[in-house]
Amino acid sequence: MFLAQLKNELWKLFGKKRTYIGFGAFLLAQTAMLLAFKYTRWQSDVERLLNGNGYLATEFISVLTVSVVMLIPQIMLLMPLYATLVGGDLVAKEAEDGTLRMILSRPISRLRLLFVKWMAGIIFAMVLVLALGLTAMSFASLMFPWKGMFVFAPGQAFSVFTANEGLIRFMGSLLFMAVNASVMVSVAFMFSCFNMKPAAATILALSFLFVSMVMENIPFFDRYENWFITHHFKCWLLVFKDPAPWLQIAQSEIILFAVSATAFILGAMAFQVRDIKS
Amino acid sequence: MIELRHVIKKFAGRMAVDDLSFTVSPGEIFGLLGHNGAGKSTAIGMMLGQVWPTGGEVRICGHDVQANRRAALQRVGAIFEAPVFYDYLSGFRNLEILSTYTAPTTPARIREVVEWVGLTGREQSKVRTYSHGMRSRLALAQALLPKPELLILDEPSDGLDPEGIHEMRQTILRLQRELGLTILLSSHLLNEVEQLCTRIAVLQKGKKVFEGNVADVKAERGKVALKTRDFAAAEKILRAQKLITATAEDKFITLTEGRSTAEVTQTLVAAGLAVEGIWQHEQTVEDFYLNLIKPPALKN
Repeated sequence: MFLAQLKNELWKLFGKKRTYIGFGAFLLAQTAMLLAFKYTRWQSDVERLLNGNGYLATEFISVLTVSVVMLIPQIMLLMPLYATLVGGDLVAKEAEDGTLRMILSRPISRLRLLFVKWMAGIIFAMVLVLALGLTAMSFASLMFPWKGMFVFAPGQAFSVFTANEGLIRFMGSLLFMAVNASVMVSVAFMFSCFNMKPAAATILALSFLFVSMVMENIPFFDRYENWFITHHFKCWLLVFKDPAPWLQIAQSEIILFAVSATAFILGAMAFQVRDIKS
Repeated sequence: MIELRHVIKKFAGRMAVDDLSFTVSPGEIFGLLGHNGAGKSTAIGMMLGQVWPTGGEVRICGHDVQANRRAALQRVGAIFEAPVFYDYLSGFRNLEILSTYTAPTTPARIREVVEWVGLTGREQSKVRTYSHGMRSRLALAQALLPKPELLILDEPSDGLDPEGIHEMRQTILRLQRELGLTILLSSHLLNEVEQLCTRIAVLQKGKKVFEGNVADVKAERGKVALKTRDFAAAEKILRAQKLITATAEDKFITLTEGRSTAEVTQTLVAAGLAVEGIWQHEQTVEDFYLNLIKPPALKN
């Protein structure tokens, strides 16, 4: 029965157009960035950086390098927006539309209903990231060759890899990006469980992430960076460090899982005591 | 089938339902009446485990809703005013989705229900293309999916045109006749309640101000309409004979306990007053309801 409920929850989620806003925006952004990389000074700047560090630029301006270049701003700016948009809708939109009242006239427990919805949100986050990664590679392959990978993220990574190793690291980074997106969905989902409009849940979740990012970047809070969720989001970039700091990545992932679970529990507690009225 | 015992619900200090108790027996069509904000929807919400009572006990099909919601709602269907669905999905898909929140339901059962409500041929169309009447039928279909014993209808005719209201009324009667369902109906349409319900309860500001049989309400025991050329003279004679205790609107008399309309007729004729008509007054539920919720100073 759980699988049937999850399948139907996914039908509901992927059946509505607004779920695809994120996918559409990513496609547009990727196209724009690919063209910008190819036809502005962006590409020559990267080549200069590589040459300046003793690498042959022509060997590393490749599908994988361009894919990561395209992903960095999208992950920082667009993903929180679209993940929280869907997360904020999960419960609050049904409450606003009135379908939640109809569901809750049936003998399903509130906890079970929330768990199914949360799982659907997590699956959405994974699909979003997978689609993002695969389309980035597909788009980049239209204009660039399959060669070695170069990653430069200030303060996080400056590395070069062979094409095969680069692909493994790229897939690993997608996995951690999916965890990030799941946490964003979970935070928005938590707010969505309270008695508020879907837009309010999305805005609160975005505010939470934004405040975390701002505080993390204030020099005074350097020593408290582990307390900020956005600090742990960066572990998808740490995968590109050579050697990868796996212990640090594991710590961040555990914290992110804990944040996600805490968001679900808080949301469930709020939802459990709520009166559902028309 | 439904049992509310001293149920209280407060919202932020405001009393929405105040010490509400009533029982609905199997096979009954029970009407819940009251103005907007009287507490009808809150009471229904508590029956369905959507609103948590501040005090008291709500039992559905023998189970405490708070303690054992799953068992209580296993054989319950509900319809709310302005039926809403996932507009971007088909009617059939909506029914599939909603059925999984109760128990595994076969496509054959869904088709059976679709046929029962008369939506065959349109079940694969997206709900956004449905008329209000079709949405109401789909709402009924989703309520019937779990083979309910109890149907809770919260303003089911809300927003329907007169034809739709008539159709809904016939459907409710058919549900009781063919499927033997117990039905709790909350409605503003007093005419509808009068035609459908066997018993009613009236809520006012969260309190139950009346509970009784519709037949009793209509009979309004003791109140008799009297048609005569000189009502004042008739009143004088009947009071002198202690046959009546009260009059109203120069056309109604209230008989003294144990007296009959035959005695009234005989007395007036003997006194030389022609009686053009005398009959037991049957008031409508609407008359009764409006009189009941009037401020005391305005009551008959």
